[in-house]
Amino acid sequence: MRQSCKKKDRCVGERQDGLLSGVSGGIGFMDYQNINYADIQEAVSAEKYRTLPPLRLSILRNVTLEAIEPYLKYLAIQEGFRAEIGFGEYAGMFSEAAGGAPHLLNKDTHCVIVFLHLETISGDLVHNLAGLSSERVEEEKQRVKGYVGGVLAGIRRQTAATILWHSFEMPVYPALGIADYQSENYQMAVIAELNSFLRQALRDAGQAYYVEMNTCLARIGSRNFYDKRYWHIGRAPYSRAACREIAWEDFKFIRAALGRNKKCLILDCDNTLWGGIVGEDGLAGIKLGLTYPGSMYREFQQEILNLYHRGIILALCSKNNQDDILEVFRNHPDMVLKEEHIATYRINWEDKVTNIRQIAEDLNIMLDSMVFVDDSDFEIGLVRQMLPEVKTILLPAGKSVEYREILASSGLFDMLTISAEDRERGAMYRAETKRKKLATIYTDMDSYYKSLEMEVVIRMADDFSIPRISQLTKKTNQFNLTTRRYSELEVKEMANQTDVDVLYLALSDLFGDSGIVGVAILRYRDEEALIDSFLLSCRILGREVENVFLSHCLKLARFRGSRSVIGQYLATSKNMQVKDFFPRRGFRVVEEDEQKSKAIYDFLKPDYSIPTFFKSVKSDVDDLMEKLGK
Amino acid sequence: MRDLIIKTISKVFEVPTAQINDDSSPRTTASWDSLNHMKLILALEEEFGIMFSDEQIIELLTVRKIIAALENLVAEAGMYR
Repeated sequence: MRQSCKKKDRCVGERQDGLLSGVSGGIGFMDYQNINYADIQEAVSAEKYRTLPPLRLSILRNVTLEAIEPYLKYLAIQEGFRAEIGFGEYAGMFSEAAGGAPHLLNKDTHCVIVFLHLETISGDLVHNLAGLSSERVEEEKQRVKGYVGGVLAGIRRQTAATILWHSFEMPVYPALGIADYQSENYQMAVIAELNSFLRQALRDAGQAYYVEMNTCLARIGSRNFYDKRYWHIGRAPYSRAACREIAWEDFKFIRAALGRNKKCLILDCDNTLWGGIVGEDGLAGIKLGLTYPGSMYREFQQEILNLYHRGIILALCSKNNQDDILEVFRNHPDMVLKEEHIATYRINWEDKVTNIRQIAEDLNIMLDSMVFVDDSDFEIGLVRQMLPEVKTILLPAGKSVEYREILASSGLFDMLTISAEDRERGAMYRAETKRKKLATIYTDMDSYYKSLEMEVVIRMADDFSIPRISQLTKKTNQFNLTTRRYSELEVKEMANQTDVDVLYLALSDLFGDSGIVGVAILRYRDEEALIDSFLLSCRILGREVENVFLSHCLKLARFRGSRSVIGQYLATSKNMQVKDFFPRRGFRVVEEDEQKSKAIYDFLKPDYSIPTFFKSVKSDVDDLMEKLGK
Repeated sequence: MRDLIIKTISKVFEVPTAQINDDSSPRTTASWDSLNHMKLILALEEEFGIMFSDEQIIELLTVRKIIAALENLVAEAGMYR
């Protein structure tokens, strides 16, 4: 106890630190685990957070769950939001979903969080399964499925908010004991079936996600997860440790839905990717291999490679001789990470702050989408102080066994879905470095562009492209005229409207397929077209693709009968570079102040010409015009 | 220890420490409802590294009783000074 008190004191200190850096940097999972409940409650009621923008969370539940509230509020603050949390009635889920709780389910709701506890809705399946006939089991299953379907449909009717639905927990001691594991008809299988039904129903509802309670349960163990005292006293099944774990899991989804998931991992090398210092211990002397202690680092590298395959960009930032490090990547037989996985690196003796800035420039991504990992508290401290936008992870010395888990538990890189583009991202960034090399050979840009053999495809949104379109609206910051974020459901709705066109642009070239990299949304009213959104992934900037895209948008607007097109610019802290995008392309500015500007294209001298260096441009706009004889 | 208990109660109920005395109870403290009572129990358990029994939880409805119960539990655990 004395020892744990000491630990607590230290943790309170860490909490303060975590909170201070919180709004910009966020808190690590390990720190979060150690904050105590009273301090969290006190922290979230602090005056200074009252001015943060609201994040409206509505919790529908059939158990007592209020203990989760401070954790959700705390994690919201870490993302720069003030959570406004509303709870549904203990026994009110169905009527709330049916329309009885407009204060919880409306167009301003950001996220609906559902806890449908199986024990409450079907005591039979949880407590009495051994005594039920197979017909009764079937009946109960259908009843639960009907309930889930009804609630889900009801929520969706009222709000387009993201829905997070917590799965049914597996029994820790199944109804039929060890025989339960053997049968398709017993408790474990019945609950698994309900969960797969739930998963499918959520997928069909769109912008609705299955949150796996069983991984939360497994991480902390059932003895810590459930608090039987409060289950009996007040129908509150989950312990505070469980609430903490569940809130953390929920925020992985919320972070991703907000587009705050990280895109790039910057790695230190010595004592991070391997044990020891390559400059001193030599290639054969570093700890890396299939057996202890090298296996700890190999496992860590496996996790990093896993992130790479999920679309996370990897970079190195190490104080070393470049040749020493590259030799490890090229010649060490036990390296899991290879040179081909690394998008860019800065291996030199300069300070890491400068190097990280340059890496951000190389990759053309924002500092706030980067995570820096290092074993040195000096380097971590320096980056925390100088580049507070960059999230940092300190790998504690002497705890190499935990490195993999520290990275995996962070949830920083989690995405709601993983698209084909995500899986190919690593290769795309490598291709970009090759393009840059090629560019140095050519002296005039046009012949360089021509040599890239760029092929552009412009299409109307369809079911296959909608997830990626939504993803791009959520995470594109720099080349984004209006920075309007749209969920998949919202994109789908717009695509189905007759007075809106949702277009995407895909690009491929000599070095590979970049996939969907641009989105434009046009809204028509009377004889006017409004460019609601116009954005391009920063990866393909500087190749005049934007001019092709805009030209086709104008053509389309004209074809739809518009006499003028309105281009808007809404300033954010990140999109300065497109401030004059429309004026530079023949639009006439009609309104302008610090925050926004509005410009009109009036087709007086329509010019749809595009650069000649593209190998091909295929467009639904041209097809449409041809088909309808224009 | 008493101070720490009072401080925890004040944090959970969002009431200044000066307004909390041994006789404070759900009758005297507006924010001491059943949900906040649960939050208080969780916070105290964490703060002192002990567990109340289910019977204690429903009985600990004055500050005096809470302090007495905690002193006992902590003494039993024999690890706190």
